[in-house]
Amino acid sequence: MNVGVAHSEVNPNTRVMNSKGMWLSYVLCIVLLHLVLLSVPFISVPTVWTLTNLIHNMCMYLLLHTVKGTPFETPDQGRARLLTHWEQMDYGVQFTSSRKFLTIIPIILYILTSFYTKYDQTHFVLNTLSLLSVLVPKLPQLHGVRLFGINRY
Amino acid sequence: NNNLTKVKHVLLLSHSQVIQLIIVGIASCQQLVSHIVVQVFSPGNGVASRPQKHEPFEQAPMYVAVMTYLGFGIVTLFGYLRDFLRAVGLEKCHLAQEREEQKDFIPLYQDFENFYTRNLYMRVRDNWNRPICSLPGPVFDLMERVSDDYNWTFRFTGKTLHNVINMGSYNYLGFAENNVDFLKTVADKVNQYGTGVCSTRQEIGNLSIHEELEGLVANFLGVESAMIYGMGFATNSMNIPALVGKGCLILSDELNHTSLILGARLSAATIRVFKHNNMHSLERMLREAVCSGQPRTHRPWKKILIMVEGIYSMEGSVVRLPEIVALKKKYKAYLYLDEAHSIGAVGPSGKGVTELFNVNPTDIDVMMGTFTKSFGAAGGYIAGKKELVDYLRSYSHSAVYATAMSPPITEQILRALKCIMGKDGTTEGLRRIHQLAENTRFFRAKLKEMGFIIYGNDDSPVVPILLYMPGKVVAFAREMLERRIGVVVVGFPATPITEARARFCLSAAHTRDMLNQVLHHLNEVGDTLCLKFSRRKYTSRPDLCAETNLELDS
Repeated sequence: MNVGVAHSEVNPNTRVMNSKGMWLSYVLCIVLLHLVLLSVPFISVPTVWTLTNLIHNMCMYLLLHTVKGTPFETPDQGRARLLTHWEQMDYGVQFTSSRKFLTIIPIILYILTSFYTKYDQTHFVLNTLSLLSVLVPKLPQLHGVRLFGINRY
Repeated sequence: NNNLTKVKHVLLLSHSQVIQLIIVGIASCQQLVSHIVVQVFSPGNGVASRPQKHEPFEQAPMYVAVMTYLGFGIVTLFGYLRDFLRAVGLEKCHLAQEREEQKDFIPLYQDFENFYTRNLYMRVRDNWNRPICSLPGPVFDLMERVSDDYNWTFRFTGKTLHNVINMGSYNYLGFAENNVDFLKTVADKVNQYGTGVCSTRQEIGNLSIHEELEGLVANFLGVESAMIYGMGFATNSMNIPALVGKGCLILSDELNHTSLILGARLSAATIRVFKHNNMHSLERMLREAVCSGQPRTHRPWKKILIMVEGIYSMEGSVVRLPEIVALKKKYKAYLYLDEAHSIGAVGPSGKGVTELFNVNPTDIDVMMGTFTKSFGAAGGYIAGKKELVDYLRSYSHSAVYATAMSPPITEQILRALKCIMGKDGTTEGLRRIHQLAENTRFFRAKLKEMGFIIYGNDDSPVVPILLYMPGKVVAFAREMLERRIGVVVVGFPATPITEARARFCLSAAHTRDMLNQVLHHLNEVGDTLCLKFSRRKYTSRPDLCAETNLELDS
C-alpha cells in the first residue's frame, strides 16, 4: 500500500477517462492526426479519411483492448493485472458515460469517413471491418472474454 | 411524434431535476441556518466564532488539463520507444532481467507494472529521497548528489548545501530543534529508564512515565482517559480492528490516510466511501444504512462508524466537524476523528479541530492523534471515555503485541505537551501556536494574491500548490532546490492524474524573513514556469469589499 497517496482509489487507471478535459484531449488528438495526414501532399482526401479511421481504430484497439494491467503497482493484489484498460474502466461497471463516449467516437468517425469517401466499395469494406474490430470488444457480453486464448496472460 | 416524445423526455428530466433542486435548496437552507446558528451562539471574537470558511477547490482552465494529458502522452510514447531500444539492445538496461534460459517461463519481473517507474519516475528520481544531514528544523543541510547515468545511480560530491529552507517537514510547532535546555529532561530520563522498553504494554512494559503521559494527554484534550502507542500508523491500523468487526459499517472519507484504510480493511467491516467533506453524500449514506441495514439479510448494522481526519494532509482541508457531529447524533452513529495533522497545529490553544469549531470533545467517540507532527516525537494516542480506553488496553493489538513507547520519546512528548499547555511556567507554547497561525494566514494570503491555485482551509498549515503538469512538477522541485528551498512534490499516480501538487508545511519556527524569501522565490518560479493559474481576484482586505459569497459548495 502506498503511503502518501492523496486518494483512496485502489486503481487510478479506472478514473483516468473520467478526468477533466480527457474527452476534449481525445478529440483534439484525432483532429491532430487527421491534420497531419492531410498535410501529406500525395494522398487524396478519401484516402486520408480512411487512413485516419484505420489508424484511430488500430490505436484504440491496441491501447484499450490489448494492453493489460496497470503501468504502476496497485494495492489490489493484482486483480487488474489480466484486465485490459476497457475492462478496468470504472471497475467494470457497464454503460458509464466514458464508455458511451468511447463507443460513439468510432461510430461518428465511421459516418464521416463513409461520407468523405463517397461510399466507395474498397474503402467501405476496410472501414467497416476496422469499426467492427473496435466495437465488438466493447460489448458487455465480451467483458473478460479472450477468444482462442489470444492475450490471456 | 418524434418531437413530442423528445419534448416529453426533456420535461421529465427537468421535472426530476427540479425535485433535486428543491431538495438541494432545502439542504442548503439548513446549512445556511446552521451557519447562522454557529455565528449567533458562539461568544467572543476568536477563531471558533467565525463562520465556517469557504473551502474552494478551484479548477484550472481547460487548456491546463489538455496540456497535462499531452505531457503524459509524450512521456508514454518515449517510454515505449526506450523499452523498444532496451529490448533490441541499443540501450543499456539497468533493471533486473531474467536469464536467457528463463525467458520462456511466466515473467518473474512483471514488465508492464513498472513501466511508470522505469520510464517516468527514474528520469526525475532526484527530487525525492534527498538525504539530509542535519535535523529537520526550519532550515536544514542537504548532501549534494549528482547522477552520471540519468538517475539510475547517485554519487555524493562531498559538498553540503547549508541552510536550505525546509518547507516539507511536519514541524508545525517547531519542536524539531536541538536546544540543550529543552532536551535536558529527555537526557535525564534516558539515564533513569534506559532507551528501550523491550516489552509490550501488557507484559512488563507499562512504565510510570507512560501513565503520566496518558494522564496529561487526557487532560490536554478534555476527555476522561487516553492510551498511547509507539507508532502513529499502527495506532490506526491496530485499533480500528479492535473497535469494529464483521457486521459493522464504516463510512470513511474519500481522502482518508492509508493507515485508516488499512485498519478498516483489517477489521472485516463493510466500508463505504463518501465524497470528501460532502455532508449530503454522508447523510444519504447514513439514511440508506439505517433504513436498509446489512446487504442481504437487512438486519440492522451492529455499529456505524464515521471515520474522518482533522486536517487532510494532501489537500489541507479541514473536516466540517459541527455538521458531522449533528449528523452522528441524529442517526446514532459513532465518530472516529484522526487528528494526526491538526492536534497542536490548529485551535487557539492548540487543542485541535474540536477547539477550532468549539465542539465539545465528549461528543466525539474516539479521538485519535499522532505525536509525530506537532510534538517532534513518534507515536500516537487514542482518547475518549474511560470504558473505551480500558477496553483498548486489553483488546488492542498494539497493546498486546507491539513494544511500548520508548522513554526518551515519552519524555519529549511530555515536555512538548507541558510547553503547549503552559505548565512549564512559560508562554513559549502559546507563542509558538500564535506564530504558526500567523505564518499560516500570511503565507496563504500572499499565495492567493500572487495567483496560485491552492487548496484547503485558511487555517490549515498544510498548503498544497497545484502544479498540474508532470514536467512542471519536476522543474518546480529542481528550481526551488537551486534557490535553496526544499519542497515536497507529488504527482500521478499518488494524486489524481490532473492534480499534481507541491505541498508546503508551515512551521512556527519559520521566521517572517524565511517566509518572505520563500514567497519571493515562489513568485519568480511561478512567473518562469507559468504556474499562476488562478482566475479569482483575491484581496487581503475582504472587509473592504461589499460582496457576500453564497455559493453552494459541495
